[in-house]
Amino acid sequence: MPAWVKGASTDMDTAIAAAAELLGAARTPVIAGLNAEVSAIRAAYDLAGRVGASLDTLGAAGTYAELGALSRSGAMTSTPAEVVGRADAVLVVGAKPWSTELTGRILEARPSRGRAAGAERALMALGTGAPQAALTVPAEGGLLPGLALLRAHLRGHLAEASPTADLARTLAASLYVAVLYDPAEVGEMGVETIQGLVIDLNETTRAFSLAVPGETQDRAVVPVAAWTTGQAPRTGFGRRVPEHDPWRFDAARQVAAGEADAALWLASVPAPAPGWLSRIPSIALVGDASPEAAEVVIAVGVPGRDLGGVLWNETRGALTYWPARAGGAVAADLPSAASVLSRLTDHLAGRSDTAC
Amino acid sequence: MLSVIRGGRVVDPTASRDGVGDVWIEDGQIVDAPGREPDRVIDAAGCVVMAGGVEVHSHIAGGNVITSRLLLPDLYVSEAAPEGHPFAHAGGAAAWIGATYARMGYTTAVEPAMPPTHALGTQLELADIPLLDRGALTVMGNDDHLLTLLRDGEGANAVRDLVALNVATSRGLGVKCINAGGASAFKDGALKLSLDDEIPCYGLSTRRIMGSLLDAVEALKVPHPLHVHCNNLGLPGADDSFIATLDAAEGRRIHFAHAQFYAYGVTDDGKGFRSAAERIVRAIADNPQATLDIGQVVFGQTVTVSLDILRQFGGRKGAKPRKWVLNAGDAEGGGVVPFLYRPKGPTSSLQWAIGLEIMLLSPDPERTILTTDHPNGGPFTQYPRIIHLLMDRGEREREIATLPGVVGERSGLPGIEREYTLSEIAQLTRSGPAKLLGLADRGHLRVGARADVAVYRDDPNRTAMFTAAKLVLKDGVPIVEDGEVVEWRAGRTLSLSLDSDKAMARRTDTYLTDRFGTGLDSFTVPDEAFDAPTFEAVPCRV
Repeated sequence: MPAWVKGASTDMDTAIAAAAELLGAARTPVIAGLNAEVSAIRAAYDLAGRVGASLDTLGAAGTYAELGALSRSGAMTSTPAEVVGRADAVLVVGAKPWSTELTGRILEARPSRGRAAGAERALMALGTGAPQAALTVPAEGGLLPGLALLRAHLRGHLAEASPTADLARTLAASLYVAVLYDPAEVGEMGVETIQGLVIDLNETTRAFSLAVPGETQDRAVVPVAAWTTGQAPRTGFGRRVPEHDPWRFDAARQVAAGEADAALWLASVPAPAPGWLSRIPSIALVGDASPEAAEVVIAVGVPGRDLGGVLWNETRGALTYWPARAGGAVAADLPSAASVLSRLTDHLAGRSDTAC
Repeated sequence: MLSVIRGGRVVDPTASRDGVGDVWIEDGQIVDAPGREPDRVIDAAGCVVMAGGVEVHSHIAGGNVITSRLLLPDLYVSEAAPEGHPFAHAGGAAAWIGATYARMGYTTAVEPAMPPTHALGTQLELADIPLLDRGALTVMGNDDHLLTLLRDGEGANAVRDLVALNVATSRGLGVKCINAGGASAFKDGALKLSLDDEIPCYGLSTRRIMGSLLDAVEALKVPHPLHVHCNNLGLPGADDSFIATLDAAEGRRIHFAHAQFYAYGVTDDGKGFRSAAERIVRAIADNPQATLDIGQVVFGQTVTVSLDILRQFGGRKGAKPRKWVLNAGDAEGGGVVPFLYRPKGPTSSLQWAIGLEIMLLSPDPERTILTTDHPNGGPFTQYPRIIHLLMDRGEREREIATLPGVVGERSGLPGIEREYTLSEIAQLTRSGPAKLLGLADRGHLRVGARADVAVYRDDPNRTAMFTAAKLVLKDGVPIVEDGEVVEWRAGRTLSLSLDSDKAMARRTDTYLTDRFGTGLDSFTVPDEAFDAPTFEAVPCRV
């Protein structure tokens, strides 16, 4: 059961007591990362709710590009299996989607269900081309202007001949259009423009957006946050009310501004820790832990490897249960992140008066 | 421990009981007066004692509910956390849902729309609703696997086995179909679908799909009849769809979800709608195998959430505020469209009147169950107000007087004198829904019932009376006192005990692997995914 305090190996009880002391002394603690299985995310919310901490996620840049656009203008979306099975036109926006497994699946298959079944699949690119793309619009001015131009053509605001006009024509003539993008790459305005042009296309055909999977568990955090607090993540509990504020509860900003005075980094699914973690008193609950990760380090089981756990399943686009892998660590050797968090919560249960 | 709730007006229509008396409780169950002294006496003088409320149709978990929170972060207000639970006053959150239902005296609630592809997420969310027992209905009727099987002419046994596998894998309490074939048709370009219209690419109709599911539910002896969301929800003339669907059931048991949204007859000029409440009520009265829940509309801002993406796409331009989400999912997906039932607006006023009219005309309140289709007609928090309007004609007339004349011109509500009795309210909110779900252990106070009990102060202001119960017991344990939660215990999730056929499981595993890249394993809802024991098995009918 590896655990370290200030780099020195110790036992679990000592490490938990040290972590509780560190967190208990803080006035504005942050819990960040949340790159973890659902039970650990739930436990992190419970801890934050009881000690008045704020919460931030590893993949916040992409998550906020999505959530900001969603709450301002809505969305029209599909799923990985639907796009693989139905799309006769796939527009890849930017560079990131080309390297995902999902794009590989789309490249390998033809439409097999719905009215486009049996048709060829036209693959098109905006921004970054690829050998597989039948049509590439380079978007030299950037992805957002490229998307805006495309939408203007689709709405009939622009008509002169150009690769963008060809792309618009192809999309409008297709039966099931899918627009693939990486939210962190295209940004909030990019997501909003993609949603807008997809919605426009649905006046005459069917078209949907599909964000490619990120490399974090943010897609598990978002639903857990929503059902736990009624709101999306980046939430603060400092005032005893869950407050959703993407700017205020950005952990990196809070540390840089000197607002946060302690941090708990949760990454049972191993992920690189942020640079700011070393600048304030910190605790790391991490898979594949090393002694220098934080002031207090507790190694926890990696879900789907050392322990069973519910994780975001990128292939399906859903929460699914992953059992421990045969040959993984013996469960007794590594605690679950949830169990460590709940022990911390128990330690700190009497501290509710410090939040103001 | 032996307890007695003493001296309250005990209302249990299933035992024709309405009078002052005692209710004895031991080991979480209602018992006969045992002839010995109780360990605890609960004084219920001046109070009304009923079984805990049972909710059959309220969207309290799942992808659409999540999306609605993300789309409308400002729909609910959060307040400072109470003692004992950090999230119970977080508006719209799971804990808030559990606490708010419990304060109203409800002890069981069913989420009616769980897609099998997202069963685990939905079940995890349901499990985080404290205080109540919960359940979810497994949605089928638009999935390619089922439609392909029907298109290929496979028999009733194959459909039965596929339904059993889906319910067992998702751990549902029953089966629902939502505009069967509609989501599939929408993806292939359709914008409207009626009972016998052809569903593109499959050569099927809603009638055929629904009929096969009706048969499967009967063959499997699922206690809850097939829960049906018909075609053409909310459109003038939807009453025809309702009646045609009832006829298509051909005497098989059927439950109609949110019937108010179908009680819209076309006006003579063909341009608007008028109440078809009488027609709907007559049809239900004539068909004892059929039931409905209301989907009552209440005035104010809400958000509509539905797996009927054909309908939600059709309604997108009425979104207020003007933003909406439509997910064309693996089968149904979901549509989330914010909506304002404009206070005193002619359309919303008529919708409001029609829901009340159905309940007030109903000869059998056990078969016309109170719901708002939360949040589609409005929030479930409005039940006390609706009960008030049903029980108090004067209150109703005062409200009608503030509304436009269309209420009197196009509905019969103003002329109805009926006032619901407490027994009828208990039928509408307790015994009816419990019988409908096939949960014999609740919805009544007879010996052997689960000791889920609500005690209300008898108050002519029924809104106040039913908003905050004086006392609520769950399994005999006080969870609410004087309208506040006093014990944050977890309920159970009720799931049907069904065996699935091994050959169908193998076949489905192959199908899923081919389509999703992962097999049946990734669709399961294993006990290990939950932090505490969660599920309680409900047997099939014998």
